[in-house]
Amino acid sequence: MEEDQGLFADRPEWADVVPIEQYEGAPPIAPIFYTPEYKDATNYFRGIIKTGEKSPRVLDLTENVIRQNPAHYSAWQYRYKTLIALNAPLDAELELMDELAVTYLKTYQVWHYRRLLVQQTNNPEPELAFIANALQSDAKNYHTWSYRQWILAHFNDDALWRGELAFVEHMLDSDLRNNSAWHHRFFVVFQSGVREGDEDRDVVLRRELTVVKTKIAIAPSNASAWNYLRGMLDHSKTPYSTLRSFVAPYSVPHPEQHEAPLEMLWTLRIPSHHQGLNYHASQQLNSWRISMKPPVEMI
Amino acid sequence: MSMDSPRRSPDDHHPTDTSELQLEIESILLKHLPLDPDSLPPLQRQQHLQYLVRNLVQGFPSRYISQDASQAWLLYWTLQSFGVLGVVLDPGNKQRAIDKILAWQHPEGGFGGGPGQAAHLLTTYASVSALAIVGRPGAGGGWDQIDREKLYAFFMSLKQPDGSFLVTHHAEVDVRGMYCLLVVAYLLNLLTPELLQGTPGFIASCQTYEGGFSSASQPYYTAVAEGWGTLLEDIRPSLGEAHGGYTFCALASWVMIQPYLEVSQSRSTTAATTTPTTTRGNPSIDYKRLLRWLVQMQGSETELGGFKGRTNKLVDGCYSWWVGGCFALLASLGVGGHAHDAGNQEHTADGNGEWDDDTDESVWDKAALQKYILCAAQHPAAGLRDKPPKGADAYHTLYCLAGLSAAQHTVRPLPARRAEIDQAWCETLGSSHQQLRRVAFADALAWSEEEGLSHVLGGSVNRVNATHPVFNLTTTHTQGIMSYFYKQTVPRRT
Repeated sequence: MEEDQGLFADRPEWADVVPIEQYEGAPPIAPIFYTPEYKDATNYFRGIIKTGEKSPRVLDLTENVIRQNPAHYSAWQYRYKTLIALNAPLDAELELMDELAVTYLKTYQVWHYRRLLVQQTNNPEPELAFIANALQSDAKNYHTWSYRQWILAHFNDDALWRGELAFVEHMLDSDLRNNSAWHHRFFVVFQSGVREGDEDRDVVLRRELTVVKTKIAIAPSNASAWNYLRGMLDHSKTPYSTLRSFVAPYSVPHPEQHEAPLEMLWTLRIPSHHQGLNYHASQQLNSWRISMKPPVEMI
Repeated sequence: MSMDSPRRSPDDHHPTDTSELQLEIESILLKHLPLDPDSLPPLQRQQHLQYLVRNLVQGFPSRYISQDASQAWLLYWTLQSFGVLGVVLDPGNKQRAIDKILAWQHPEGGFGGGPGQAAHLLTTYASVSALAIVGRPGAGGGWDQIDREKLYAFFMSLKQPDGSFLVTHHAEVDVRGMYCLLVVAYLLNLLTPELLQGTPGFIASCQTYEGGFSSASQPYYTAVAEGWGTLLEDIRPSLGEAHGGYTFCALASWVMIQPYLEVSQSRSTTAATTTPTTTRGNPSIDYKRLLRWLVQMQGSETELGGFKGRTNKLVDGCYSWWVGGCFALLASLGVGGHAHDAGNQEHTADGNGEWDDDTDESVWDKAALQKYILCAAQHPAAGLRDKPPKGADAYHTLYCLAGLSAAQHTVRPLPARRAEIDQAWCETLGSSHQQLRRVAFADALAWSEEEGLSHVLGGSVNRVNATHPVFNLTTTHTQGIMSYFYKQTVPRRT
């Protein structure tokens, strides 16, 4: 980590760089009230961009800018170009990123930059554990999950894929309403080709049915589980009607229901603002047994 | 169901982090439920305007340093909020805004988040949209100073073999960038088949099993010694789950590529030559599944009818636009529109007005969303927000107001208006891809507000302007900039 050395303007080793103030009209419109430290660092960053310098001190400067504003995508981009130009050690950079990713979990840049580095090192192995750790503090972080999916798909190595189902189970055990984990399960099981041991698709389908039914039994109002069930039925072209007996106990019967082709499904008005006890379950029933006359009230 | 105590979300006697957080938020939201359903808090128009003026004239506090690379967005959010509230900026402030935006233009094309920053698709969209609001032709007006040739080259430099786009060099692919690129290409007359090739397939590949769209998809290629190989169409998994923001961007992009699909199809059927795209088959998206997911994103009465962005997440005011705005887009594709739409709306066949209740006959509850925005998303002091007890910010102020607009108005492409615009089209010498651009121009400007179908909760004092469902600019601003760059005169509305 960089030590606090004061402003770049006060550092003798930066005296040769001409800082560039940001253009602000007079009077300025919609200005941001920058802190002196941020103004200083970005003035020097604009100066560096102008000269095109790519040197070790640029790594210090961009780190400083990034720590003050991790969404400064130009600083990330310039840092990457500098790193490559210097042929700098990537392990040290990844170590720094381990810290920054956890601190600035919610920015796009930390995760993409990590992708760039791992593509260079070609060593995805430590990444899965790193990601699992990051998910402990933010279990639904979109970038983190996407990054995990990218690691698996991009390197597409059986050794990486091997532990994924167990990992999903672990995440769902701690919160079976975590939709990110359900999506990850769908990605692993159905969307990325056939994995080792999953060659018999009928067996896979039965396994997944058992899993989702069990989880629905634990929490019948969990929309994530129902969506997964629908997704896997659609994916495998399994008729919804095969699950009639499973769904019935979770459903509230509606008096005027008639069978209709599934094509009618989308015409239903689902009154989400009239929420009832078995809301999600009744919604599922509604999707299985299509009413010709859409109900105004479900309950 | 009783009206006095809306039902809390069930946790099925199996509490988890998700259900606990949900119930916690519901307790807060319930306190914002009006005691008398007929007396809702009004839209605090004056306070919101003062908030916007303060941001524009005095500036943003230092916590907005985190948005220093999004200066273009701060300006667009503010200017478009004025647009939705029906306020026009004075010439002096307009000029200051134009000068500021032009300082973000990169010498190699495109606009960055601030002066000296790298060009980026998102900030290019925000800059060009802001220029659509405050700019004009001529010296210093902003429009003629946009370097369109370099901008197009910048766009092409970001294009990937699977039809997607990087948001900037050495950065991520995601559907937000694609949406931003397409809007700018529409407004500035930069559409070409070359730019759009492969993009329909990329959009389709981002639809998830839930129906909504993810941030991106992962392309697989056949292994070759060098280069990209051949794209494997059947293995392109979505990266990330269905999400409201990405869904809006993907669906609006899907609407925007329709002219390309139309023109390239008519060309491949009339001419003997086949283009490479036709060999891959026509990508499609599943509208039914999408509509189902969108409807599911609307919160319960306990959540005051606000929208969430993902399954089992919390409602947030910004999804009023990102999800609430999707219904008009889908309706333009013939799905889930108003019950008494003329023509081919199959679902009206057995409806007989049975579930028309005069205030809301669409597939989503427009009145409930207005309630969320009025009761929960307005900050008591000024500005709009995610949810109580959070503070207001520039981003939520625009997307709550735009969502309110989507819930109040019905804006849709009118075939008669489209024909009028199309017939007035003048071929311009030296312009390429006339057929594609002509269709795109007419499609974009055919969107019209149906005055008789507005439903403003709380009466006309709460009325805000209609906004273009694809671009989130007022129709006036959209027409102004497009007729200039396409060199067309748009017939007056009759």
